Amino acid sequence: MSETARPAERGSWLMVLIAWALVGLPLAWGVYRTLLTAVKLFR
Amino acid sequence: MPGWLSKERIIASPGFNRWLAPPAALAIHLSIGMAYGLSVFWLPLSHAIGVTAAAPGDWKVSTLGWTFSLGIVFLGLSAAVFGRWVEREGPRKAGVVAACCWGGGFLVAAGGVHFHNIWLLYLGLGIIGGCGLGLGYISPVSTLIRWFPDRRGMATGMAIMGFGGGAMIGSPLANLLMNHFKTATSVGVEETFATLGLIYFVAMLAGAFGYRLPPPGWKPAGWTPREARTMITSRQVHVGQAWRTPQFWLLWTVLCMNVSAGIGVINMASPMLQEVFGGRLIGAAGALQDLTGAQKTEVATIGAGFAALLSLFNIGGRICWASLSDYVGRQRTYVLFFAFGIVLYALAPHAGRLGSVPLFVGIFCIILTMYGGGFATIPAYLADLFGTQHVGAIHGRLLTAWSTAGVLGPVLVNYIREYEIGRGVPAAGAYNTTMYILAGLLVIGFVANALVRPVSEQVFMSDAQLAEERRLAHESGSRT
Repeated sequence: MSETARPAERGSWLMVLIAWALVGLPLAWGVYRTLLTAVKLFR
Repeated sequence: MPGWLSKERIIASPGFNRWLAPPAALAIHLSIGMAYGLSVFWLPLSHAIGVTAAAPGDWKVSTLGWTFSLGIVFLGLSAAVFGRWVEREGPRKAGVVAACCWGGGFLVAAGGVHFHNIWLLYLGLGIIGGCGLGLGYISPVSTLIRWFPDRRGMATGMAIMGFGGGAMIGSPLANLLMNHFKTATSVGVEETFATLGLIYFVAMLAGAFGYRLPPPGWKPAGWTPREARTMITSRQVHVGQAWRTPQFWLLWTVLCMNVSAGIGVINMASPMLQEVFGGRLIGAAGALQDLTGAQKTEVATIGAGFAALLSLFNIGGRICWASLSDYVGRQRTYVLFFAFGIVLYALAPHAGRLGSVPLFVGIFCIILTMYGGGFATIPAYLADLFGTQHVGAIHGRLLTAWSTAGVLGPVLVNYIREYEIGRGVPAAGAYNTTMYILAGLLVIGFVANALVRPVSEQVFMSDAQLAEERRLAHESGSRT
């Protein structure tokens, strides 16, 4: 996003960031837990 | 007056950021994706009465496993039956109903555990929950395709990736909850079901209320549709007409074969690794049956790690292959799935004979990306062939292929294995024939995909029919 972005656009991208964080963080936690199990294959 | 759930109320305002649509879809798909993680409950539930060990009257794991099968069957049935309703009423109403079914299904299942009634469990997570799976699964498809006409594959791939990733969140969360709720007299599943039901209900409602539809005729800024190509139509086919076309049944076969082979592999990958490599996995000599109890536990842990690795490649494949299909085309993407798949399925037994664990693991990881990619690319393939007007409903009907594959894949794998062992083939070698037969399924899929051609002119809706369909679908609403 550029410095000259309009307030409405900045708000819109902030909403996008929040929405993606709400679904992305639980998914990242799930992927992390799965990776912890998966690494046992390589020990 | 249109209600809060109606399609007219969710037409996006000018300036709405289309990147808000995928997280709404993901909230629903990550919730219903827990269907793949239900097996985490079966072991604790198999000693729900005895608590520390199975007691008379306790359910068997095999009895509990039917809940998942029922769920997948009802996923396909509800998606097929209610697909048109979803298209007409819009994604928000469909998402709310899906939230009630999936969240409510967990609550009914909690009642099943409380009263120790298996039929309530089947009703809750199998039938009611299965309907929630079907409605939730197809609810965002046409919405995403309309928001991302320039990247249909990527858009639907993101949502369907969520279905693959749901169990990654749900399974460890369920374990945490069961450990929290368990007491000397309870395994903690009843309370866990109730808690998960509420969590999923709220998450899915949030997703449903996050849905917005693009205004009619909307397109991304600066994007101009390319000239209609032979395999991408700009016209529309009615769902009632689509399923009568050979193209629909060819794609049904494509999905069914890809999923049957993939489910077969998922079912046997971990035991196959353990039985083929045995002691070599832990640097010990001997086959699996010759190992000590402690060594077998160590090998089983490695098997679980392998299964976890495969699930990561499964969800990675959903977004990667579906996004790639936007550039190389859907038909070519499936050509890649089937051509590589046939080679890899046939190579797997040789990797076992060579004793190469990395080769064996690598083959299965690539296979799993193509299994996930097959799911994620099919909605865009349908939109290319039949248009976007009824793509959600057409996709719903196509999902009966998944229900069929959910039975066909495991049955094939289990029966072939039993037959081979009955013939005296060693356990480690009993998988070879299965892999060749699964490769044969992919040959059928390859041929079906190769036969797909654009639908004929008379199948498309006329302008008058299309206008009537759009009127029925309330596609001229106010903006929010």
